Amino acid sequence: MGRLSAPLPSAPKIAPVPSGPVTDARGAELPIVQAPAVPFLEIEAVRAKEFVPAAKEALTALIAEQGQQKLIRPVFNWAGRNSLFPLHWGLACCAIEFAAAFGARWDAERFGVLPRSSPRQCDLMIVNGTVTWKVAHKLVTLYEQIPEPKWVIAMGNCATGGGPFRTAYSVVPGVDKLVPVDVYIAGCPPRPEAMLDGILRLEKLIQERKE
Amino acid sequence: MQPQDVTKVFAPKLGARLLGVDPFEGTAGRVRFERTAALEAFRAARDDLGFHHLSMVGGIDWIDHREVLYVLWSDAARQYLMLSTDVPASDPHVESASSVWPSANWHEREAWEMVDITFDHHPDLRHLLTPDGYAFHPLLRSFKLHEPEELEVKTRHV
Repeated sequence: MGRLSAPLPSAPKIAPVPSGPVTDARGAELPIVQAPAVPFLEIEAVRAKEFVPAAKEALTALIAEQGQQKLIRPVFNWAGRNSLFPLHWGLACCAIEFAAAFGARWDAERFGVLPRSSPRQCDLMIVNGTVTWKVAHKLVTLYEQIPEPKWVIAMGNCATGGGPFRTAYSVVPGVDKLVPVDVYIAGCPPRPEAMLDGILRLEKLIQERKE
Repeated sequence: MQPQDVTKVFAPKLGARLLGVDPFEGTAGRVRFERTAALEAFRAARDDLGFHHLSMVGGIDWIDHREVLYVLWSDAARQYLMLSTDVPASDPHVESASSVWPSANWHEREAWEMVDITFDHHPDLRHLLTPDGYAFHPLLRSFKLHEPEELEVKTRHV
């Protein structure tokens, strides 16, 4: 009771926002920068319930004005290439470099690349390591579980062409025998820089996508 | 444990099917017997000599015949013992050891798919390291390398 009945501390006083022109330390007036008009962002602050019809109306008007392919495709490409989610799985030593690429030094997340553990949440499969015939049908199942649109990067010599195990009885000579591959990365294993370069090349491919 | 101790146990049980006990090398002995006496030999090694641990089962392809090797370990004697039996290449069958040592299960599956030795009365003789439907025995000397295209299996229908 004693603690509850104690007087509350008074609220700190906040300095009022200065009205009128803003000046810097020397007294010169700072210019007021107007935000450029973007048709998407001209929607006023609305409730969530009102946002969907408002956005729909704005988008419909834009499509009628500019055409669907011209407007929507670049937006989707831009969103897709900046949020590539690779499947979080490793097959061999390339997976060590794959893991290192997401550490503090290389930080692949700055490109929007974030490994996810479920193929349902992914749009990129990085095959990092030797693919054996025993694991081949699991790889194909995982690939088919990824929703469209999806891409595949063959990382390292083993995934590209079987590597030093090409003639072995148990190794798939190149993962492109199982799934369509978009980008091949050479190296045994490739360094994280090479993996990031492959991802950036894939982003270029996605940006130029037309279909 | 010396070779004569091993002979003393094995000779009455196997009779003429005991082909010989080789001189020991270090701590490892080697017993050769006919494949029809396999189960008796396993039980004698486990119950009478105390080799409770089966370390590995292996197969060797000698082209005209194949050799099956069982490496045993005894904690009491601190000693290895190898059991060895020959099977003809035309009829590579031998009794499974998994009723005596359960750890033989996976070793025999591997020996079966790699060097094509069939273990009779095995509880679960499936592929272990190669995919289901794999029609080759890669560690046989008759197996050819450098033909990766011919090794493709139907991966989508497994």
